[in-house]
Amino acid sequence: MPPRAVTKSVRKTGGLFDGVKSNVEALIIGVKYFIDPKRMTMFYPKEYLEHRPGYRGFIVLKKEVCISCAACARICPSAAMKMVRVSEVDPKEPAKQRQKQYPVINYQRCIFCGYCVDVCPVEALYHLPFHDVTYESLGDMFLTLDLFQKEPLRPVEKEGVPVVYEVDETLGLVKRERKGGG
Amino acid sequence: MSISEGTLGELRSKGVEVRRIDKEYYEIFIGPQHPGSGHMRFRVKLDGDIIVDADPDIGYVHRTMEKLSEGREWLKITPLVERMTIIDACNITLPYINALEKLMDKRPSTRASYLRVLLCEMNRIASHLYGFGIFGVFIGHSTAYMWGFGDREVFVELSEILTGTRLTYTYHIPGGVRRDMPQDFPQMVRRAVRYMRSRMPEYEKIFLNNPVIVTRLKDVGVITKNRAAELGVVGPTLRGSGIRYDVRLAEPYEVYGEIDFEVPVFEDGDALARTWVRVEEIKQSLNIMEQAIDWLERHRDEPVIPKEDYDKLPKLHKEVYEKSGRVKLLPAQISMKVPPGKAVARGEAGRGEIFYYVESDGGTMPYRLRVVTPSARNAIVFKRILPGHRLMDLPTVYGSIDYFAPEADR
Ligand code: SF4
Ligand code: SF4
Repeated sequence: MPPRAVTKSVRKTGGLFDGVKSNVEALIIGVKYFIDPKRMTMFYPKEYLEHRPGYRGFIVLKKEVCISCAACARICPSAAMKMVRVSEVDPKEPAKQRQKQYPVINYQRCIFCGYCVDVCPVEALYHLPFHDVTYESLGDMFLTLDLFQKEPLRPVEKEGVPVVYEVDETLGLVKRERKGGG
Repeated sequence: MSISEGTLGELRSKGVEVRRIDKEYYEIFIGPQHPGSGHMRFRVKLDGDIIVDADPDIGYVHRTMEKLSEGREWLKITPLVERMTIIDACNITLPYINALEKLMDKRPSTRASYLRVLLCEMNRIASHLYGFGIFGVFIGHSTAYMWGFGDREVFVELSEILTGTRLTYTYHIPGGVRRDMPQDFPQMVRRAVRYMRSRMPEYEKIFLNNPVIVTRLKDVGVITKNRAAELGVVGPTLRGSGIRYDVRLAEPYEVYGEIDFEVPVFEDGDALARTWVRVEEIKQSLNIMEQAIDWLERHRDEPVIPKEDYDKLPKLHKEVYEKSGRVKLLPAQISMKVPPGKAVARGEAGRGEIFYYVESDGGTMPYRLRVVTPSARNAIVFKRILPGHRLMDLPTVYGSIDYFAPEADR
């Protein structure tokens, strides 16, 4: 059947009996969840969320793969990614120096849209499946080329227990401990 | 000291707004410190506690979306306009992409259309539950707040699994979507649908049929059928006043025309009816989600971008798509040129009709982009409907039309 509009009406209420019944029903539900609540609270940082692969988190550069095409810097909608010029040893002729451009990222601006990762023609960029890395100062969020190649440390991993949430038919989201991480 | 009429006239002629302050009335300001779902302010004039005049002072979060778009390449506009309503990002960006597709004369693949519909409906539920939670806490029912936000998390989690992020999906690209669903996604969606269905009667018992709530909502903020048409309100606010209008029905986009669902309409026009519209819509969205996921499961082989585009992709791009379902973009798409022309597209977002006008002069950026959002059209309700109510009804009316300030201000 194609979509259609259907007129419905609000349940008519009124009368003492109805009022008492609805009140009692609401109270019963309230008491039920008071005794047996559905909790999904995560006790961060004692526990931390282990996202599924494919989560658009922090970005890391594989410099050896990068062909310096600048597509990532051009597509970035918030101008978070910029190209820097470096001179480095030419791998083919070790005696020579060469000038090359590589992208660096500014996490003050990045909105994690993932365009840069998707546009890179050689898959030189990849997402890490997490978001919660802290920096001491705003300036530190402008990563240098060296830092951009390292996977940042996630402080919660040191002390916390990884958990995952699963969709459940009766409880909504259920928190489960993920053994062995990853 | 009083000012003479002459001086007043002089001020007026210079363009100064002059208004008389009535001594008998109280004038209070509500906001702009985030009265609910965003920054806006009301200037309310009270006689005792009866509102005699309400002036919604909007624009606190105006970010010149339309102007900013004129300086951005086509693809980069999606992450921009999505920031109008991040809680409803899929619905809010879809018409933009539809308009762009009209200009480019591109049709999305059917699989992409179903994925879009699926995400749109998950988003609609999440957005309604968000609105529902805010509404609940406005009128002092903090259980509704906890429940709404808790259950919303189920759908936010599903969206995260599908798109890779919780709210700002940036999911649509011209001709398709950016990701295919993971293998185990259908089971998760079905479980979530069954869960939410079993929850709905509980919502009705604790909130909608609860006499405490009914007393607060019934016959408050009544917008009659004629009045609703005259004010031009949209979405659940319109359907709560008995008008059978929904863009998914009036001008089906994507695959909505092929899906079996109802558009609930209520006649009463009060806050209670508007809340019921949203609750019934959640139920219908669950039906749509089920149908979409059934279809998607049956047609796994189709790519999420048009076949001819897929065939043209380089080898690496195909490998990535086959391995992880991720559609890689081509560097040529960054500065793609769109044929000159004008296009309009509209869609039904959580709060009502969203409309885009896109004009291209053949360049890499739009010449003009116009967007009319549902909250912007519903804001008039405050001015016209609030007078005559008690002050305590203001949160009820605000919550029942599910006003979202960043969306209205653009
Ligand atoms: S994820 Fe988006 S915002 Fe961040 S650097 Fe990449 S393209 Fe720019
Ligand atoms: S798009 Fe990829 S290859 Fe091109 S500069 Fe960026 S990281 Fe390097």
